[in-house]
Amino acid sequence: MNGPLSLIAEITHRCPLHCVYCSNPFVMSGKGDELSTQTWIDVFQQAAAMGVLQVDLTGGEPVARVDHVELVSAARESGLYVNLITSGIGLSPKKFEQLARARLDHVQLSFQDSDAGPADEIAGATVHARKLEIAQEIRRHRMGFTVNIVVHRHNLQRLPQMIAMAEEVGAHKVEIAHVQYYGWAFRNRENLLPTRGQLDSSLKVVQEAQARLEGRMRIDYVVPDYYAKFPKACMGGWGRKTLLITPSGEALPCHAAKVIPEMRFENVREHKLRWIWQESDSFLRFRGEAWMPEPCRSCDRRTRDFGGCRCQAFLLTGDSHATDPVCSLAPAHKEVEEVVERINAWRGSPAEGSEPARAARASWEYRQNPQ
Amino acid sequence: MAAARRISFLSARMSRPVETSKPRLAPGCRVSDLPGKSTVLLIPEGALQLNGPGARIVSACDGERTFREIVQMLQQEYRSADPARIEQETADLLDRLHVRRAVDF
Repeated sequence: MNGPLSLIAEITHRCPLHCVYCSNPFVMSGKGDELSTQTWIDVFQQAAAMGVLQVDLTGGEPVARVDHVELVSAARESGLYVNLITSGIGLSPKKFEQLARARLDHVQLSFQDSDAGPADEIAGATVHARKLEIAQEIRRHRMGFTVNIVVHRHNLQRLPQMIAMAEEVGAHKVEIAHVQYYGWAFRNRENLLPTRGQLDSSLKVVQEAQARLEGRMRIDYVVPDYYAKFPKACMGGWGRKTLLITPSGEALPCHAAKVIPEMRFENVREHKLRWIWQESDSFLRFRGEAWMPEPCRSCDRRTRDFGGCRCQAFLLTGDSHATDPVCSLAPAHKEVEEVVERINAWRGSPAEGSEPARAARASWEYRQNPQ
Repeated sequence: MAAARRISFLSARMSRPVETSKPRLAPGCRVSDLPGKSTVLLIPEGALQLNGPGARIVSACDGERTFREIVQMLQQEYRSADPARIEQETADLLDRLHVRRAVDF
């Protein structure tokens, strides 16, 4: 069994934003439950010794932890490539001097939109203008710079402007990621899922921009799997490439795994990373093919998509072993088809109004902060 | 969940370096400096294993040496190899790294 290549360190669940599609769980760790500085440093060293190459420091908002510069420095000292995934809120020119001295490799800065109004509506906070200032600091220090923008029904029409914004702020890469329906996003799904027409138009925009910007700015486009014929290879397969540590030290194969109720996850306070990766029940549970039901078990695609996402299977069917229902071959595919049909039927329907956004706008369920 | 389906329309079109191009590792890209490990080019969300000549080429991308100078350096170090092939393969590697936004020139 190969070791993981990347470590996702969710160092805190605290965050000044309240995004309606946050991937954090509903039950979050408070400040008092967070791992100590020293425990995180030990985790980074263990990870590097296992062959992990990269660490994503994320959250919540990772800079909400007062020791974030120390953690960047320690992760870098361990030999890891360090990526800070941030909203930018809580950072300053002075802080960037410190992060540069700590030899931070890369910053992934999130934006919610190209327009401040709708951006701040999605974030549940006034943050857009500040992010533009933070982008200048990233460039000043010549750090790797990715802009991340989550797209959905209410902002997809501004995709050209969002790409232009990423160009203007000087990103080397823009990751345009459709909402994935877990956590808070699952609760807001009816308001977020785009229509098929929107999706088709967006593909043309991305294609044109990728050709135009080649060699200057990369564009990664993550499409919504509700519209796909086959599922995504979630996390590159359960326990195959990535290890995620929660603020309180639980080791998960992905962001959403805690949603599966029968699973118990090990904690880095009690076990070494290597044992968790190689031997713990939670990482073995869906690794390989033995767990697969039909039609996955005899499907040619099983080595490519690994049966899709276990968390999505649980969310949509109540069974974490089921074939991911986004797959057109899945017994429960009807669940997804019904949602997609409903979203697309709204458009132009006199009863709902031609723009479903109008009715939906007031009904967001915002991400809460930990107690 | 976040490592989702990514699609790319990147064409096979190449943006080849010219003689006077001065390739430089892009921000956020560096050669792993761990002793005792094989040479790896670390880039955002990825890593590329480098063989001997590949590691030499990438290490020479300092924004000062020209493409011509890098090719000449390799031709001197690998005297038994076909010089034209060295030039071709150096250009190919830099093309690929340029498209991945790992090298600017």
